[in-house]
Amino acid sequence: MIDKEQYTDVLVIGAGIAGIEASLMFSKADRKVHLVEKTSYTGGTAIKFEEVFSNMECSTCMMAPRQQELLQDKNINLLTLAEVEEVKGSFGKFTVKIHKKARYVDMQNCIGCNACFEPCPVSLKNEFEEGLSEIKAIYVPFAGALPNVPMIDTDHCLRFKGKDKDCKACQEACMFEAIDFNQKDEQLELKVGAIVAATGFNIFDSRKTPQYGYAKVNDVYTALEFERLYASNGPTEGNIVLKNGNAPKSAAIIHCVGRDEKGYCSSVCCMYSLKFNHYLKSKIPEIKISEFYTDLCIPGKSHQKFYEKMKETEVDMIRASDIEISKQGKGIAVKYINGNGKKNSLPVDMAILAPAIEPRDDASKLAKILGISIDEYGFLEEENRDDSSVAISEPGVFVAGCAQGAKNIQDSVSQSCAAVGKVLSSSKYREKN
Amino acid sequence: MKKKIGVYICECGPNIAEKIDIDKVIDAVSSLDGVAVVDRYKLLCSVDGKKFLEEQIKKQGITHLVVAACSPKQHEQTFMEVCINAGINPYLFQLANIREQCAWITEDKDEATKKAIILVKAAIGRVRYHDSLEKKEIECNPSVLMIGGGIAGIESSLLLASPDRTVYLVEKTSSLGGLITSFEKTYPNMQSCNSIKQKIENIYKNENIKVFTDSEVEEVLGFFGNFEVKVKRETEENEIDEFNVGAIVLATGSTLFDPDKIPRYGYGKIDNVITALEFEKMNLSGGILLKNNKPPKSVAIIHCVGRNEKGYCSEICCMYSLKFVRYLKDKLPDVKVTNFYSDLCIPGKSDQKFYEETKGKNVDFVRATDIEITKQGDKINIKYKNENNKNSLPIDMVILSPAVEPTSDASKLAELTSISQGDGGFFSEEHEKLSPISTSTDGVYIVGCAQGPKNISETIVQAGAATGKILSSLIPGRKIEPEVKTSQISESSCGGCKICNSVCPYGAITFDEAKRISVINEVICRGCGSCTATCPTGAAINKHFTFDQIYQELIEIVK
Amino acid sequence: MAKEFEPNIIGFLCNWCSYAGADLAGTSRIRYPPNVKSIRVMCSGRVDPVFILEAFKKGADGVLVAGCHPGDCHYQSGNYKTNRRIKLLKKLLDELGVETQRVRFEYISASEGQKFAAVVTDFVNELKNMGQNPIAKTLLL
Repeated sequence: MIDKEQYTDVLVIGAGIAGIEASLMFSKADRKVHLVEKTSYTGGTAIKFEEVFSNMECSTCMMAPRQQELLQDKNINLLTLAEVEEVKGSFGKFTVKIHKKARYVDMQNCIGCNACFEPCPVSLKNEFEEGLSEIKAIYVPFAGALPNVPMIDTDHCLRFKGKDKDCKACQEACMFEAIDFNQKDEQLELKVGAIVAATGFNIFDSRKTPQYGYAKVNDVYTALEFERLYASNGPTEGNIVLKNGNAPKSAAIIHCVGRDEKGYCSSVCCMYSLKFNHYLKSKIPEIKISEFYTDLCIPGKSHQKFYEKMKETEVDMIRASDIEISKQGKGIAVKYINGNGKKNSLPVDMAILAPAIEPRDDASKLAKILGISIDEYGFLEEENRDDSSVAISEPGVFVAGCAQGAKNIQDSVSQSCAAVGKVLSSSKYREKN
Repeated sequence: MKKKIGVYICECGPNIAEKIDIDKVIDAVSSLDGVAVVDRYKLLCSVDGKKFLEEQIKKQGITHLVVAACSPKQHEQTFMEVCINAGINPYLFQLANIREQCAWITEDKDEATKKAIILVKAAIGRVRYHDSLEKKEIECNPSVLMIGGGIAGIESSLLLASPDRTVYLVEKTSSLGGLITSFEKTYPNMQSCNSIKQKIENIYKNENIKVFTDSEVEEVLGFFGNFEVKVKRETEENEIDEFNVGAIVLATGSTLFDPDKIPRYGYGKIDNVITALEFEKMNLSGGILLKNNKPPKSVAIIHCVGRNEKGYCSEICCMYSLKFVRYLKDKLPDVKVTNFYSDLCIPGKSDQKFYEETKGKNVDFVRATDIEITKQGDKINIKYKNENNKNSLPIDMVILSPAVEPTSDASKLAELTSISQGDGGFFSEEHEKLSPISTSTDGVYIVGCAQGPKNISETIVQAGAATGKILSSLIPGRKIEPEVKTSQISESSCGGCKICNSVCPYGAITFDEAKRISVINEVICRGCGSCTATCPTGAAINKHFTFDQIYQELIEIVK
Repeated sequence: MAKEFEPNIIGFLCNWCSYAGADLAGTSRIRYPPNVKSIRVMCSGRVDPVFILEAFKKGADGVLVAGCHPGDCHYQSGNYKTNRRIKLLKKLLDELGVETQRVRFEYISASEGQKFAAVVTDFVNELKNMGQNPIAKTLLL
């Protein structure tokens, strides 16, 4: 018997690839979806990649059609700059409070011409570009961001910080009356039947492992920073250059950064480290690359094939421990102990660190709001690790993607489809109490 | 009815108005054949702009609409809706991109204007040849054929079955449960596999699930929403059951690589060398014993058996090898266990913890290559290389962890359902990242180890994913709306050369032997146009991208 | 003084990748020569070689066909077919006295706005050096 008073709308938290897929599937089933996204754009972390393994497909080409579909879907209510504040109720009858920050730009009037950026007097580091470039206080995080509507960063905007209450440089530049300083943050209340948490991940802060020289030695980059360096819509338009402006002649890719500290293998790093070998060789064919790893983790029917292909490009696979990265002359020295127990040192121009995948900073806060638990690593905890990893101890709340644990895009998408499956099948034959 | 083309040029604020001399464009196209009205507007995609267009269409009796503005990827949908609201077919419309591909990239105003004129003329030329296109709707059957009664098939069937959706569960062997019925426990929680028994009971209790054991699928005809299936039961009379379904799920699992193929492992030649599955069964039956009925004092577990031959890592073997250590230590606390591995693959969230907790007393992990299992009297001796040093280890029992491979009937099933096999011989998914359980045949899904080696938790997730896909696309009472801009073949022009049949990536084109012509199934067709470009007689027509429509754009551009 | 020869180029761009890439060049305000006027198709596999021949017949100086990178085709394999068709077409063009460099097949993804602009700029310069399409005048229509 279906309780006719159940709410049929669904809440999806997070508009990364898992959240987008879940939302589109719910919409196909004619469910209204409220997709709540913390940032101003859709695409999560995967939109930062130029290519994805193992067939080196263009990530934007892969995601853009889904993002476009999402934006035009009448069943999907995309709420950007929004966060979940409170959840009350139970499966079939949740009442959710959302705090939606003001964008200060009217999403209907704005046509995405970007004319408002140039006149803005404030520059700040672009978080999307991992701090590698600067944007203005009114900005769109990257070329091609969807929705293509800027936001005002009130932490830096002169007007909102009170430093120049009369500054309206951006508003004056806008021909469509799209900039509205009077917009207010909103409190929304949604009535939904089920919740899917697809809030993604952070990467381990490599400063916590100082032996890798991150933030101390020049030209040591994290994986996400390197993704942006390689990206054709990134801060260097895809040119891989060192801090001194030259192209690197050699690079070291260090796997397992933070693995011991976190206590688990992040499952994707070996594969994307091999992808980086492809990135580097495609831009700088003569570059000499060494991959420093402990155990090569490349499960899956297509992944070893990719590894074999990369080996043909003469990449040096070095099983190593006790890695230490320091400045040496104009470049970097990677000190390590190899598989035979011998100490070694390799001079390189550039080092790329593959840091562990860890939960978002606000994962425990979200868990409390949703009434679910977090596991020993801080990820949202599934009901049964042997069984179904999308169901959570709180009925009606499901998890998909890296919010539950480190995984690749394929597994994140499978989980989000499974979360949809669980929601759509449960409302069919849950008994009325 | 005479065509009345309405041409509207969007100023897009200063974006187009400042870069292009719109009045010149208006002048250039006003007197073209069929053009009834040309006008400009500040912002056509705004609420006012859309209202303006709608009123114009109605007032001026416009039959075909051309809008010169931004990219169709931005607002084609917007203006198509305006057409619908104004009462004209949304496909009698063309959007000329004079912003992203003209105003925004051209410095010189004269050059930009000239280019805009060409693009608008091309759009007008094209729209003259547009046809009204209607949405299609076809009935569909929401029932599901589930091929394979292992954990994936069972989980998915239980989620899918309902009074308005029958699940036909077809299992090759005589019982349900698959491989998991041979395991005592699963990792990482080492929980008992007994729960499968309850699930199997639930399957049989469920009146919306029809179970066919000792059965195999013989024939699949039709397409998404309308498959016709024949299943043969291994009885004396070889019964054939026929039924209709809307979707098919291949949950046929996997088998283990036969270590017989690699003689140096001694399988089948040396006593007490067994495979992982044989060990699981031995453990479940309660007695881990050698051939001489005594318990082993030392056991070696060899990872990666067949990995080089198969060319991929099977993901589960390191973890289940650790599980075997636990089994052994539980039942024979003093046994010495040695794991021979190449790279430890432990990617799951709790896997590393599981490994560390397993490493206790009397368990050795040896990174080894060139492993050879030899006989030494009535004992086993393992020869191996460890960091370039040759070594050997006498051992009582050897457990081989072989690669996971597709079942022997994978090719037959792939052919039956018109899908392909990819890496490792596993079924190919439609898209490695975004559609791992869909295939290039609409309505056919692949889950679990049939799609690629994976553990139970991932298998159950994929079973749920197939459920999600089916529940969101095959809804009882709702019709399927396939792609509108499909291709079709003109009967009179088709010469029967069949070239298009092989060119279609979706298998949408078949050959009608009786009529000697090719036929496109428009439900499966995605409108890519490959057939149209290939057809030597022009019989294949790609709706909304016909030869004439594209040709008209072309001739305006090259004038 | 004679005006500089400006080649007239027709582009065939696929909806999912190269058309989006061309749009991105616009969104990013990358300036490039206006000589290319593009036709949008759903897949580069739709590009019938007859279109390219007709284009040259009617006076086009260059034809640019752009599709998804190998492996990325929205319709699985359209771009592979286009690649093969154009290779064969070039042989035919050679016979007809049309320089094969007048047809270009490029892989351009949705994020390669820069590449699109660079390809067009390079193509325009190459065609400027080559001059007008030789068969436009000589072919009797």
